[in-house]
Amino acid sequence: MSSFIIRKTIQLVFAFLVLVGISALPGLIVQMRPDFPGYFKMVQQQLGLLTTSAPLTYYNVTASEKRPLMPDLQPFIQETLVIFTSALICSSVVALLYAFLFYRTGSKTRSILTQSARLLEMIPDLFWIIVSQSIIVFLFKTTGFNKIEIAGGFADSIRFLPILTLSLTTVFFFIKWLTGRIQEEQSASYLELARAKGIHSSRLFWQQLMPNLFYRFYLFFRTNTITIMSSLVVIEYAFNVQGLFRFILINQDFSVLLVLLLLIYVPFFILDTVAELCIPRSWKGEIS
Amino acid sequence: MRRVLLRDPVFWMCLLFFGTLLILSFANSVFRDGQVDQIQNLYSKDGTFIATSPLEPSAERWLGTDRSGNDLFQVMIEGAKWTIGICVSIAFARIALALLIGIPLAFRKKRLYTVLRLLLDGFLIIPISLIALFVLLPAFQFIDPAQIPSTLSRVFLEISVLTLLGLPALVLYFIGETRQLLAQEFMLVARTLGGRPDYQFRIHIWPHLLPTLTIVFMQQFVQTLMVLIHLSLFGLFFGGTLVLFEGNAAPTIFEWASQFGYYFFQFTAVSWINHLFLVPAIALALLVFFANLLTSRLERAYRLRRQQISSSTPSLAEAEAATAHLSHPFDPVDISIKS
Repeated sequence: MSSFIIRKTIQLVFAFLVLVGISALPGLIVQMRPDFPGYFKMVQQQLGLLTTSAPLTYYNVTASEKRPLMPDLQPFIQETLVIFTSALICSSVVALLYAFLFYRTGSKTRSILTQSARLLEMIPDLFWIIVSQSIIVFLFKTTGFNKIEIAGGFADSIRFLPILTLSLTTVFFFIKWLTGRIQEEQSASYLELARAKGIHSSRLFWQQLMPNLFYRFYLFFRTNTITIMSSLVVIEYAFNVQGLFRFILINQDFSVLLVLLLLIYVPFFILDTVAELCIPRSWKGEIS
Repeated sequence: MRRVLLRDPVFWMCLLFFGTLLILSFANSVFRDGQVDQIQNLYSKDGTFIATSPLEPSAERWLGTDRSGNDLFQVMIEGAKWTIGICVSIAFARIALALLIGIPLAFRKKRLYTVLRLLLDGFLIIPISLIALFVLLPAFQFIDPAQIPSTLSRVFLEISVLTLLGLPALVLYFIGETRQLLAQEFMLVARTLGGRPDYQFRIHIWPHLLPTLTIVFMQQFVQTLMVLIHLSLFGLFFGGTLVLFEGNAAPTIFEWASQFGYYFFQFTAVSWINHLFLVPAIALALLVFFANLLTSRLERAYRLRRQQISSSTPSLAEAEAATAHLSHPFDPVDISIKS
């Protein structure tokens, strides 16, 4: 346990240093040339921000003044968190149900499901945004239905379309991985044995197959977080969501960038640690 | 894998799409000096004023014109080589650099890989488009058109930054992939026989890595295109943004993603869906779609090849059964391949 704590602490310290280095990158290019002394000065400045006890401030473009970062940022963090977690839950549930359906169907239906999922997976996030906005506008023009917002405002939060589009982007991603693994695992000996014992296919899926795929699914999700985050950036921008990424796109400040990087990294670090500690060893493919 | 691809009509269709675009685009540069026709106002034969730009799509101008009067079909043709060229260059540069850095590191001890993973972990969750925007925006916004640096220097710098930002994830991927190959039995034999790392790589690793590289190349192509689209939406066009009056901005190159961002601003401000916005949007959608389709065909060919290899390798039971049925012990073993 102590070696685990030491390893995780070293990882956190290294990650903080790397994130400080990334947050100082905007100072690297000055007038189309790399400026390394300027970059290192920026790194020092960012390190100073981390070590200082004074509250962090940023330049608010709308108010044209320096303001304390923390109370201002809180509603934006909340909005991003709501959209990200809702979309993640929605897409995971839909992908799991799809995978169950895929597992139980015959080869012909499987082929149709695979082809259609593959086709939809090729559509990039931006086009889901445009299509969803177009459908809502078309719906409004033809039926007068105006309950769904197509863009947020400073006081109004927009949730439905951002969650829907982010879910659509991620769900095909998840589906592709899950169906691929199901096809791989289907002929595994432990499933053959369970089938021979007469265990029902739905029980086989939820109690045998899914626990074995859970940890690998988590690892897949972690390696593809960058793609989901990129989609979230553009969704927040296009729908005018009052979220964290929109906040940084408007207030392009070094301190905001550093805080944003930490706000993204730390929850994932905690999640990784919890996953490492809590997921049973047998689910990770190890001998319990 | 090559044989499967050569017989795949979808693969050829994708190549035809990319090839036609590139040929038309380069032909426009060679034969028309990269010119794009401009029509500000449209007059009838007797000189009567008919319409002003932006003109709707018609038989004469297939995709219509934009507000500046540029023929959108010609804009798209001229821009194709930029968009495809940039994505190809960045994908190629990333893969080449990642191989150069990753392969020698893969031959080192596992501890180095763990340390590298630890160091680059931060890079694996940060959206590239956001960091690229912060790095490039201060240097790539121009107010005076006369002060814009040469196209070559701008393109080189932007390609370099976008290449380097995507590099850490790819280096880690190649180290992992090569280490997995190095753990295979045939590599253990190659090492036992005294093969040097460069020999092991050339003879054993490279042929196994090559099919994966083609898939990774197409993935990087699409990822770069998406970053370019995202950046242009944030107001940073490829090759720099020319800041105009009243907060407007214009691209300096007829590149597709930049055109999309440029017309997107006009679309949100002025009218609902129009041809100005739809033309680059559909063009980009097609490009992403065909690139993804090409990737999926490559993946399919790779999968089929792996299935062929695994089904042609006899199991121990099959080998024993085949040996037991030999009429002559020195006859070659004939094992039927599973379908």
